[in-house]
Amino acid sequence: MNGAVRDDYLSHLLQSWHKPSSSTLPWLNQLRTEAVDCVSTLRVPTAKDEEWRFTNIASLTKLPFQEAHNTSEFSPTDIEHFYLPEATTRLVFVDGQYAPQLSNNTNEDDVIAGNLSTLANSHSAQISLHLGQHTDFRNNVFAALNTTFLKDSAVVIIPRNTTTNAPIHLLFIATQQEVTNYPRCLLIAEPNSQAVIIEDYVALHNLIYVTNSVTEVSLANNAHINHIRIQRDSDKAFHIADCSVSQERSSHYQSMNVALGANISRLSLNIHLEDEGAECTVDGLALIKGQQLADTHTFINHAKPNGTSRQLHKCIVGGEAHAVFNGRIMVRPNAQSTDSTQSNRNLLLTNKAQVNTKPQLEIFADDVKCAHGATVGQLDNEEIFYLRSRGFPEIDARNLLTYAFGAEIINRVPVASLKKQLEQTVLKHTQSTAL
Amino acid sequence: MSTALQNLVNQPYKHGFVTDIESDIAPKGLSEDTIRLISSKKNEPEWLLSFRLKAYNKWLSMKEPHWQNVTHNKIDFQEISYYAAPKPKKKLASMDEVDPELLRTFEKLGVPMHERAALAGVAVDVIFDSVSVATTYKKKLAEVGIIFCSFSEAVQDHPELIKKYLGTVVPVGDNFYAALNSAVFTDGSFCFIPKGVKCPMDLSTYFRINTEESGQFERTLIVAEEGASVSYLEGCTAPRFDTNQLHAAVVELVALDNADIKYSTVQNWYAGDEDGVGGIYNFVTKRGLAKGVNSRISWTQVETGSAVTWKYPSCILRGDNSVGEFYSVAVTNNHQQADTGTKMIHIGKNTRSTIVSKGISAGYSNSSYRGLVRITPTAEGARNYSQCDSMLIGDQCGAHTFPYIQVQNSSAKVEHEASTSKIGEDQLFYFSQRGIDAEEAVSMIINGFCKDVFQQLPMEFAVEATKLLSFKLEGSVG
Repeated sequence: MNGAVRDDYLSHLLQSWHKPSSSTLPWLNQLRTEAVDCVSTLRVPTAKDEEWRFTNIASLTKLPFQEAHNTSEFSPTDIEHFYLPEATTRLVFVDGQYAPQLSNNTNEDDVIAGNLSTLANSHSAQISLHLGQHTDFRNNVFAALNTTFLKDSAVVIIPRNTTTNAPIHLLFIATQQEVTNYPRCLLIAEPNSQAVIIEDYVALHNLIYVTNSVTEVSLANNAHINHIRIQRDSDKAFHIADCSVSQERSSHYQSMNVALGANISRLSLNIHLEDEGAECTVDGLALIKGQQLADTHTFINHAKPNGTSRQLHKCIVGGEAHAVFNGRIMVRPNAQSTDSTQSNRNLLLTNKAQVNTKPQLEIFADDVKCAHGATVGQLDNEEIFYLRSRGFPEIDARNLLTYAFGAEIINRVPVASLKKQLEQTVLKHTQSTAL
Repeated sequence: MSTALQNLVNQPYKHGFVTDIESDIAPKGLSEDTIRLISSKKNEPEWLLSFRLKAYNKWLSMKEPHWQNVTHNKIDFQEISYYAAPKPKKKLASMDEVDPELLRTFEKLGVPMHERAALAGVAVDVIFDSVSVATTYKKKLAEVGIIFCSFSEAVQDHPELIKKYLGTVVPVGDNFYAALNSAVFTDGSFCFIPKGVKCPMDLSTYFRINTEESGQFERTLIVAEEGASVSYLEGCTAPRFDTNQLHAAVVELVALDNADIKYSTVQNWYAGDEDGVGGIYNFVTKRGLAKGVNSRISWTQVETGSAVTWKYPSCILRGDNSVGEFYSVAVTNNHQQADTGTKMIHIGKNTRSTIVSKGISAGYSNSSYRGLVRITPTAEGARNYSQCDSMLIGDQCGAHTFPYIQVQNSSAKVEHEASTSKIGEDQLFYFSQRGIDAEEAVSMIINGFCKDVFQQLPMEFAVEATKLLSFKLEGSVG
């Protein structure tokens, strides 16, 4: 570690860091060493940093939780209800550690799915080409911390010309109080491949812990990936996530991010359309209540011509919760014929709920079609009146309208069992916060 | 892009001439002594001096802001002369006593002063390098109780009004440039519309920076009492110089119950040459306080000049049912940079605001819209509609949108829309089919694009703005 670490929080976290013993993978050691050097040059952001203006993480920095070491006891039946019957491939990570006994791979296609330790030798070339190469950990202290503590990772490789219809389920379970988990995912889609991948964060009990996750996705030419990210951490937890995506020519990345849990959650989603004709669809839903804060920062970088991006982000905010959305779309000077639309819709259910939104366009090319919109509003009294005149009690009318607002996003989930789970969550949410 | 567009963009600056008048200039540099000098030169009361010194001390502790989406050379605040007044300073009894050289300058700018003023029905309070030299129509306005004079006169004649309102909307330490202005402002305009009076004519001020290296720091204060209404026009042109000049003005508007203030600006300061050398740095703080119930503040601006513009005319909607409006056209060309927008702070119940912003970028320029709509928890039933559209001409320019929306009340409705487009080949083809050449077609398309804003301008200004836009963009599309 070079120099003194500036933050108490960071130095506390780094106490448990040991220089990795030189393993058979020099590139991995090098990556981790570089990351720890980055941590010592970076600092924890505060509300004075533009990117963190509305998300105060001071309460997080008071809790320098260490990594989970001992394994916790629970029976597999406790977590069975999180499983998705459609998913023939399931990788389960408990407190950041791979749990092979809970995982399952009955996928008949040639998909390669496993953890880093088992795949690192057999697929070293591919993994070293992508791991740590898409996330900007040199400028992001949380991604740097994740890389510093990188021991294991979920790795999914969809080989060339492979289409897999069954979804791949990556399940991250938190079971321990007062620990920091560092989940990591690496998704590599080779040319002409196609897959549905579900990244799912759940908690066994209502615990206090920190999830600091990094996901890297690489789409080669003409690859199609549908990436669904469900964050249902415990209501007391902190969830800081970075998801970085690189797209090659004519690839299609479809993303859905659902934020339900965590006391404070922050997702930075960075999508780089690095070659011509790349497309991305980015949908999001934040459903929060009580004292929750859900922050979604997205960055869509149109670097090459003929790119398309579509974004719809919705927030349903009840209680005294606070939703933050920052959607930045960049069109680089030569990215002509870019077509980009972005829409952010926010529904405030109570008077103490709060929304900060900033849809941001930065355009340096002239032949582009770009539009964005943002709205903040409440349930329409006339619509409630209409339903009441049809015999709905007021609370049911409000629930139905709130559900319909969220359903626009949830209906896009291609996995029936997951869709059903989410529908139940939305219905439950409105019942507990309405009026 | 055809040559017609090229030519449009590359028109030389039409107002670039220097009037040769002996100026009374303070030595360069800023210190407490400079401020005392300005204050004593202007024969100011003690409280105003302490206001300036308080601002100066705040300023010393502040840092230049860097969050704007612009880059410019570092400003050396000790290299600026903070006071410049035209030499013949004796009191003028009539227009004939005004320096003929000065009058010729206004003639070239097309300022309607003598008969033209009467014909146009405009009372012009002319600012020439910080000191107001001639005020017309003062009498006529005085008959209905309206005070419209230079800021220094107001300090002498109506100190109680200045003391009551100065710094109430833009506090001395509001931001770096507002603090600087509060410390060293030399002159500006003051306008007071008493209770129940509807101002019978549009009030107008022309600002002009004349002496090289004298930054201009004017101060405008407009107060509309209960039920009063006024429409105020501000036009800006500046001669060309190769060193960048700083313009840091502060405008404060106060609207009491049922009052209505409409503030229109056409800004055409020198923008620098084709290579981005020279030009004005326009760092302005404009803010209106809709203090009373049912009050209304409306900003309309056409920004075509300045090398760097940094300006956010804002409304604080404190009174219940108060209304804030912002209509803006910002045109940038060559190496100009504009970071402009508005802030709408909703505090009162049922407050409404409308934002319409049109940005046109050509050449190597960058224009940004930066806006804030904040609905505070007390703003029951607040409503906002924002629309910001950008048009790009050429592939070297940039258009950016940074809208901040902060809502803390669930009964509020906020809408924001933005789009970016260009003048399409098919549009030009359609025009040429109808026998309209490219240049005229572009002018028509741009005027159509800006129509929502232009129709908010008073008649004379709308004509001027339309012309200004077409010669600004001459030759940039084709």
